[in-house]
Amino acid sequence: MSQNSPDTEPVLRPHEYDGIQEYDQKLPNWWLFSWYIMMVAFVVCWVVYYQVGIGMSDEKEIATAMAKIADYQKKELEQISDDKLWAMSKDAKVVAAGSATYQTTCVACHAPDMTAMLAGAKLPGLPLSDQEWKHGNHPTQLLTIIRKGAPDVTKGMPPWEPQLGLQRVVEVLAYVLSKHSQGEPFTLAVDSPLKKAGVQ
Amino acid sequence: MTTSAAAKQTIEFNDKVVRQFMWASIIWGLVGMLVGVLIAAQLNFHELNLTSWLSFGRLRPLHTNAVIFAFVGNMMFAGIYYSTQRLCKVRMGSDLLSNIHFWGWQMIIVSAAITLPLGFTRGQEYAELIWPIDIAVALIWVVFAVNFFWTLAKRNEPSLYVALWFYIATIITVAMLYIVNHLSIPTSWTHSYTIFSGVQNALVQWWYGHNAVAFFLTTPILGIMYYFLPKAVERPVYSYRLSIVHFWSLVFIYIWAGPHHLLNTSLPKWLQMLGMFFSLMLWAPSWGGMLNGLLTLRGAWDKLRTDPVVKFFVAAVTFYGMCTFEGPLLSIRAVNALSHYSDWTIGHVHSGALGWNGMMAAGLFYWLTPRLYGTKLYSVPMANFHFWISVFGILLYVAAMWVSGIMQGLMLNSTNAAGTALTYPNFLETLTAIRPMMGFRVIGGALYLVGMGLMLVNLWLTARSGKAVNETREVTVIQRNSVDTMGLKTTFLADPVTYFFGGLFLLMGWIFLPKGADITALICSLIFGGIAVKKFAGSHASWSQWYDRLLENWLPFTLLTFVAVALGGLIQIVPTVMVNRAKNMEDRIQQVYTPLELTGRDIYVSEGCYNCHSQMIRTMLPDVLRYGDYSRMGESIYDHPFQWGSKRTGPDLAREGGKYPHSWHFNHMKDPRSTSIGSNMPSYPHLFTQKFDQKTLPKKIATMVTLGVPYPAMTDVEIKEDAIKQGIEIVNRLKEDNLSASPDTKIVAIIAYLQKLGKYDTPEVEDKLKTAPGIPTLIPGPGNPDKNRPGGAE
Repeated sequence: MSQNSPDTEPVLRPHEYDGIQEYDQKLPNWWLFSWYIMMVAFVVCWVVYYQVGIGMSDEKEIATAMAKIADYQKKELEQISDDKLWAMSKDAKVVAAGSATYQTTCVACHAPDMTAMLAGAKLPGLPLSDQEWKHGNHPTQLLTIIRKGAPDVTKGMPPWEPQLGLQRVVEVLAYVLSKHSQGEPFTLAVDSPLKKAGVQ
Repeated sequence: MTTSAAAKQTIEFNDKVVRQFMWASIIWGLVGMLVGVLIAAQLNFHELNLTSWLSFGRLRPLHTNAVIFAFVGNMMFAGIYYSTQRLCKVRMGSDLLSNIHFWGWQMIIVSAAITLPLGFTRGQEYAELIWPIDIAVALIWVVFAVNFFWTLAKRNEPSLYVALWFYIATIITVAMLYIVNHLSIPTSWTHSYTIFSGVQNALVQWWYGHNAVAFFLTTPILGIMYYFLPKAVERPVYSYRLSIVHFWSLVFIYIWAGPHHLLNTSLPKWLQMLGMFFSLMLWAPSWGGMLNGLLTLRGAWDKLRTDPVVKFFVAAVTFYGMCTFEGPLLSIRAVNALSHYSDWTIGHVHSGALGWNGMMAAGLFYWLTPRLYGTKLYSVPMANFHFWISVFGILLYVAAMWVSGIMQGLMLNSTNAAGTALTYPNFLETLTAIRPMMGFRVIGGALYLVGMGLMLVNLWLTARSGKAVNETREVTVIQRNSVDTMGLKTTFLADPVTYFFGGLFLLMGWIFLPKGADITALICSLIFGGIAVKKFAGSHASWSQWYDRLLENWLPFTLLTFVAVALGGLIQIVPTVMVNRAKNMEDRIQQVYTPLELTGRDIYVSEGCYNCHSQMIRTMLPDVLRYGDYSRMGESIYDHPFQWGSKRTGPDLAREGGKYPHSWHFNHMKDPRSTSIGSNMPSYPHLFTQKFDQKTLPKKIATMVTLGVPYPAMTDVEIKEDAIKQGIEIVNRLKEDNLSASPDTKIVAIIAYLQKLGKYDTPEVEDKLKTAPGIPTLIPGPGNPDKNRPGGAE
């Protein structure tokens, strides 16, 4: 490691500090070079990013990625209809995947059996196993609630699409729908925002 | 000491204070590490959060503070007091100051050990101690500084040895960092608000936090290495010029690296970039210390087989090298995107604290005790066993944390191939995956603790076999007028200093000047650098002479060191605190907390929630998908202190507000497992019974107003009424879900706070400028590199 040839002794400084002496060896070249490389990297990277302007800012990078996701979702959603969602609820594979997500993500509020009751106690969510719906019973209406959350999130459902992604949201819905059948009777909840708006 | 003309004098060193600090270090080290093992176990078994004052959030600050300030602090003082007296050939400046230093420091530790579990905290990492204790720390540190510099001033050795350079840097830098980062306005005897908020608080905190590592855990220990390692191996230090180069580059560069704790956050990017590249440029200076340590062993490697002291020192320096390689690696923004908030960082700091600090401490104490008690080490095999169990314990710990951190980081950041959805949307899934690793960590830590216990026994028996002795020595008294005669002019107007400042000035022009001027400044600084190198090649003899002279002048040396460590902080912090204040609020301003929400926030801080939950969504796709839109600077502008966090044992909470109904939070705080299956969060039953503090609330709001938070004018009664009114609203909502709480309980306040997280306004530009408190008019000068960037304005 030393730059000195073996037969020349390194310089030993004469001064002694409480019995400690010091050699005055040359700085190891590999050490110096590794340092210089870091300095050059600093200057080059800074010039490239700040002076030449190559490279996206973090904000722009996120915006691009999010736009791509929005684009993908738009294309997917165009193909989704009530009938297609009902069909999915009959597809065992889709339902199984939805069930898996439901068991980790949804049970805390809606309970494993979708009753929103656990050991006699009411959980924060609404029951999904009965025929009463707050935000409409069309699969596409339900899909919107799972994707975007309830209109007033402080009282209800958070939006799940960002975290789960559209595909998982569709699967979960298929799982919920698998406990229901197309055309079954339904009632709108007393506090339904749809009721107030006069929309069915 | 007499000023007689006698050339020779017999002095007795104050070795008593060394012994005191040494035992204190070992005892507090055992306590701190015991708490460490306990909290590591709590992460695996939430049932171990036995009561409010034994919960993870309160004990974790106790663990970190105990290990840093009590274990390493006392160890550092022992090493400094022992070596400084011998390197200066004089007894410490004052026995009284030595005593005050020792007992004062222990009192501080005891008061910290009482207040932290009680939930009295400032809520900033390693700066948790409440303001009366902070003042005590500052005062005791000044006592230490006076005692130390007094010793230098009356030294009988003209030239300052490299160990003393590191001690000097430690003392002045820690004083500077500690005071600035602890500036607060008290609201009561046990509570205060830091004067900085949001991004400014973050920047100052990590300028402090990172350099606490640098100047409390690194430089003093390097000084100790420079004295005790050559002593133990009885060989000359490898290279004097390496000492010079690595000392000055280390103290200058270290200060700039703080922002690497805030990579990919809403901290301005230019600061992140500086933090990252200075961390990379710090690698070589750090390794300079390692090389000087390890290469000193050349010709004495055989001692490694026989002497446990040398074993510990070599392992310590090796861990130092590993750590200071890992640090720059983790500072690369892309690597940090994976590692930050994960166990990798925890592993990194423990290879530093247990590997570097702990092993240096062990080597130091095994070397010191026989000398301080005039005897031989009681058992070498026991010391060897301590060595091996420590190495094994650290490696188990660090390896577990590597696996855990990398695995969880990869899981959290993983998206599907198209980049449209997270692979593991459920945070708890990633926590469950690392559970086994968290178990191994407990075992590794416990093994290390056993080793510490063995050291206590071994050293205790060693001390018992001897008798406390204070070394006496005959020294030659030096002529006072032969040293410490250098003036300011010869200090600062010397070539090495002027060339350095010239170069730095030009480089700053490169970073801050607008387009065109920046590149010109860079070219000028490169040319200037060339001239400096040429000048050095021609007259390095006179540069060396100047430096040798500087070493005989403690005050000029100290001043230069202060300038070197102050520069980085000045250049990074002042623009952000002063000039950029208005710019901090570009598109969003946080909504002001209501009295109840502020109370809830204080409870959040007091319970130490920030130890596991961040409030900072980084500018990274996986973060945005998991937690929502990335955090903006203005969104924490009223947060005194900021709560960005540095570890995510649980998920980020920056946009928690409104995500779940009140009842969810109610149930979650009562029993986290009821809403989050597999969670390791403690339950908080005491929040349901304890009332929140209404009495100091008006004072707290008044302090916030002083700090520039735009509260509407309210009387004391109105403030309390407002809090209770909001509490009743929350209680009524809970009633709808058949849950009952009293509106003046802590749980209600904390729900109010959690529901406010992430709430912001988007004011018009004019409004922004009106409401922004105390904006100084933009001083011409430092520009914002992010704004100057071509195509940077999106």
